[in-house]
Amino acid sequence: MKTIRWGFTLAVLLSGALHAAESGTALKSDDLKAEPFRDAKTVVMLAAGDKVDILNKDGGWLQVKSAKGKGWVRMLSIRKSDARKGSGNASGLLALSSGRAGTGKVVATTGIRGLNEEELKAAKFNEAELKRAESYASSKPEAAKFAASGKLVARPFDYLPAPK
Amino acid sequence: MKCKTLWILVLALCSTTVWGANPFEQELLKTLKQGVQQQVTGGTATSIEEETVIGRQVAGNLLGAVPLVKDAKLQKYINNVGRWVASQSERSNFEWRFGVIDSNDVNAFAAPGGYIFVTRGLYRLLQSEAELAGVLAHEVGHVIRQHHLKILQQSKLIDLGSKVVTKNVGGNDKVQNLIGSGAEIVSRSLDKDAEFEADRIAVVLATRSGYDAFGLPTVLQQIGHFAKDDGDIALLFKTHPHPDDRLGKLGSAMGERFDGVKGKTLEKRLYRVKP
Repeated sequence: MKTIRWGFTLAVLLSGALHAAESGTALKSDDLKAEPFRDAKTVVMLAAGDKVDILNKDGGWLQVKSAKGKGWVRMLSIRKSDARKGSGNASGLLALSSGRAGTGKVVATTGIRGLNEEELKAAKFNEAELKRAESYASSKPEAAKFAASGKLVARPFDYLPAPK
Repeated sequence: MKCKTLWILVLALCSTTVWGANPFEQELLKTLKQGVQQQVTGGTATSIEEETVIGRQVAGNLLGAVPLVKDAKLQKYINNVGRWVASQSERSNFEWRFGVIDSNDVNAFAAPGGYIFVTRGLYRLLQSEAELAGVLAHEVGHVIRQHHLKILQQSKLIDLGSKVVTKNVGGNDKVQNLIGSGAEIVSRSLDKDAEFEADRIAVVLATRSGYDAFGLPTVLQQIGHFAKDDGDIALLFKTHPHPDDRLGKLGSAMGERFDGVKGKTLEKRLYRVKP
């Protein structure tokens, strides 16, 4: 318990630096840009498999540091390394720092784990629970009000065609 | 015809126990099947009522296996986010329902008619409202493109020849017959292309809603790290293409289209569940 508390304190102290500890690998070759936008100057070209340290995030861009240099690359060109879950202290700290202590292997809080097909197959209809679920429904205007309170503004955007 | 269908469905819903009469039962199954076929084949008479009857049964079964997290604020919150996102789709007038269910599994489920559930295990991984919006938008994508209805037909779960009505399952026996056992349907793999399509829809609906488009991709990057043999994510990995494949496909589809499109992430507004 004490260890956990220490770990937590440490995580809080390091939370700024922890982000920088995340690393990744380039999934494909892509430009490393000086700024997080398309027309920014290209610093260098990352090749598939290049290792990077992730420093920051801005929309669809990640600021990374590689052996070749530092800059911004499209988020979807990078595969993050295993840092969120699994074994090892680093993931434990990360999990704590992001408020996810207890996820997965540490403590099962609900007793329901590993949802599987058999369980779903055997499931019995629960009218009361369904009615409860339905009681929380939001109406369209209600949701719009909620969105406005978060300064979310609806805007048009076309669906994407399937890539060739 | 339309009126008759609705009338029969209403009756069926209201009085499952009173009803054993064959002609009615057959009529119901017939109309349901027609409805599904019409929707799948793009026929004209799309019936939201029929879709909702099927979805309601699936949702009730799923909740029979895994109840909601007992946190009214959380449930209201997810309905607000989900309804806002769904409002940006072509089915904005559906009665959409969202919920967080009490499982450590990392998964999300959609049933026809607009019933969408996220597990507590997945919810806990989320870091912002935009990520939640992205996950819900993926499920909304399945609903609006009727991916599960297509499965119902392809997998021949619609077995009209069978006189065997599952007993003691509760809800609507006739509809239950149509969808197979329990909530099995939600654990079925959709076509890979259906998953990629739902991903593409998700980033668009999130953007239309004013959110950062990269909520879902961020979640995919996170779950991509889970070991395949991790019990909490086994079902998701079994029924979906690997997150890396999904990110690759999504990256190609998004290309430069989202450059300069800013959106909100709303980290602070994300409702945090108790650990």
